[in-house]
Amino acid sequence: MEWVAGLLFLSVILVLLAGFPVAFTLGGTALIFAAVGIAGGVFNEALLSGLPNRIFGIMFNETLVAVPLFVFMGVTLERARIAEELLDTLSSLFGSLRGGLGISVTLVGMLLAASTGIVGATVVTMGLLSLPTMMRRGYDPGLSAGTICASGTLGQIIPPSIILVMLGDVLTSAYQQAQLKMGVFSPKTVSVGDLFAGALIPGLLLVFLYIAYLVVTAWLKPAAMPARDSTDRVGFFKVLHALLPPLLLIFAVLGSILMGVATPTEAAGVGAVGALLLAITRRQLDLVRLREIMHSTLSISSMVFMILIGASLFSLVFRGFGGDDLVHDLLSSIPGGVVGAVIVVMLVMFLLGFVLDFIEITFVVVPIVGPVLLAMGLDPVWLGIMIAVNLQTSFLTPPFGFALFYLRGVAPDSLPTSAIYRGVMPFVAIQLIALLLLAAFPALVTWLPSLIYGN
Amino acid sequence: MQGLPDRLEAISEWTGRVASWATLFMVLVTVVVVLMRYVFDTGLIWLQESVIWMHAFVFMMGSAWTLQRDEHVRVDIFLRDRGPRRRALVDALGVILLLWPMCGFLAFVSWDFVSASWALREASRESGGLPFPLIPLIKCVLVAMPLTVSLQGLAMLLRSVAILRSR
Repeated sequence: MEWVAGLLFLSVILVLLAGFPVAFTLGGTALIFAAVGIAGGVFNEALLSGLPNRIFGIMFNETLVAVPLFVFMGVTLERARIAEELLDTLSSLFGSLRGGLGISVTLVGMLLAASTGIVGATVVTMGLLSLPTMMRRGYDPGLSAGTICASGTLGQIIPPSIILVMLGDVLTSAYQQAQLKMGVFSPKTVSVGDLFAGALIPGLLLVFLYIAYLVVTAWLKPAAMPARDSTDRVGFFKVLHALLPPLLLIFAVLGSILMGVATPTEAAGVGAVGALLLAITRRQLDLVRLREIMHSTLSISSMVFMILIGASLFSLVFRGFGGDDLVHDLLSSIPGGVVGAVIVVMLVMFLLGFVLDFIEITFVVVPIVGPVLLAMGLDPVWLGIMIAVNLQTSFLTPPFGFALFYLRGVAPDSLPTSAIYRGVMPFVAIQLIALLLLAAFPALVTWLPSLIYGN
Repeated sequence: MQGLPDRLEAISEWTGRVASWATLFMVLVTVVVVLMRYVFDTGLIWLQESVIWMHAFVFMMGSAWTLQRDEHVRVDIFLRDRGPRRRALVDALGVILLLWPMCGFLAFVSWDFVSASWALREASRESGGLPFPLIPLIKCVLVAMPLTVSLQGLAMLLRSVAILRSR
């Protein structure tokens, strides 16, 4: 009955496209399949009674407690207008250079990594923040759109993003399953810290490549990225005031996790209070705004974890129909062994990225393909980072990329959609180059974790 | 009929308000735990556990409220350019075919799990952890979540039907 599992997967994708909330679509569709399977005598209903235990496992999962705390920190930084001040200061610092504003936007995108990790939210924030300024300064519209989309999605890869926390949790259990299957009974583990460390160099590599592209474009086509005429000097202390506190906060959070001083949960909690204090010292926090922060934290956390619950119902039913064996057979029959399997999985995820957000793919697809790929001997951290960069590329790719839709939503009508597509293409090319580099030199990912945590 | 959706949503509103304050408490208690561990070198296990329980409370009890605000993410590439009637149709069918069955099933299978915890007078396995009534109490969210979400689903269904019936 393995084909039923395949049918379930395709049906879920189709029903999702109808547009009902993802969490309930995942669980509801799986239940319909299970009901039909039980009625037809091909599905063991005892499997479903394990569900409360699994949900309880999600509730009691100590790694995932970090998610709402990181969300709280990210939302606070966003509401405290830290990003605006950063962009203002950086662009007055670099604004007199050709391409300086574009570089500032990229850097702010990188520093906003702590934000929510939902593609839409970051691209919309970056779009509202930077697009009007870039257009006013006479930047090429396409180039502006491309820069914003690319740096808005960058936040997912650069730690401490919540996507990496969730991916770390899913990969941990996938890795354990894979090792048990291989007969390793004292399995090695992957931690969220491993993933943060692994993401650091690839993330910075992307930032470097984006900036390199902007610098070269500014040099070849000066009209596309004019420098600001007026050269009002920005004071040293103003720069320090805007830059130093958020930078310190992010480095403290990230550093304490990477050095193993604190768990991600502890660091996230302290980071959240740090963000609150930062907001208070900037006179950006009152009761109304605190409520907004709590509300956003609540709805983002609920949304994420309901998807996780829906996805665990889905994977319970998918496994019940023998979906595991189906995926295993499919992936091991692909010519080219591990390399072939990775290429196929990456292509499928790339296509799924046109309809599903990062969270859904992490909770639905990674648990299915992860154990099989890891049993083929892949490094879990490398696989996680490849998935992250691959999905970021998918979100940027015309005509379906998520990021492009969201930017379209906040862009003025004077910015034609074709310009957005044209402007983002070079960034898609950069992403592909980065993917090839990571594939050719896995040490770009694995070197830092092994340096920090040993092997 | 106009009153019923409003009353149902008042429940979601109330659970959301309580759960949103719990997010702030989670943050503050985490910091207290960290300070105790790194500055004073002590720890209270029940305090540490309470962060995890608050986390569970937050996302389970915030779910109905999140549904009310339409902040459960949708794949809306085919929905965003259609009118409100199309959305109302999707919502009505979704509640009946997907949301209610899933919530009903969750509440049904969780019931025994939760009542077993009450019957066993379950307490934390760690010594110094949370005492008896608290653990079964928090496990009640396994039933309360599907219940509150179903009620919000009813409100959603009624509003959608009203849109579909209006000409």
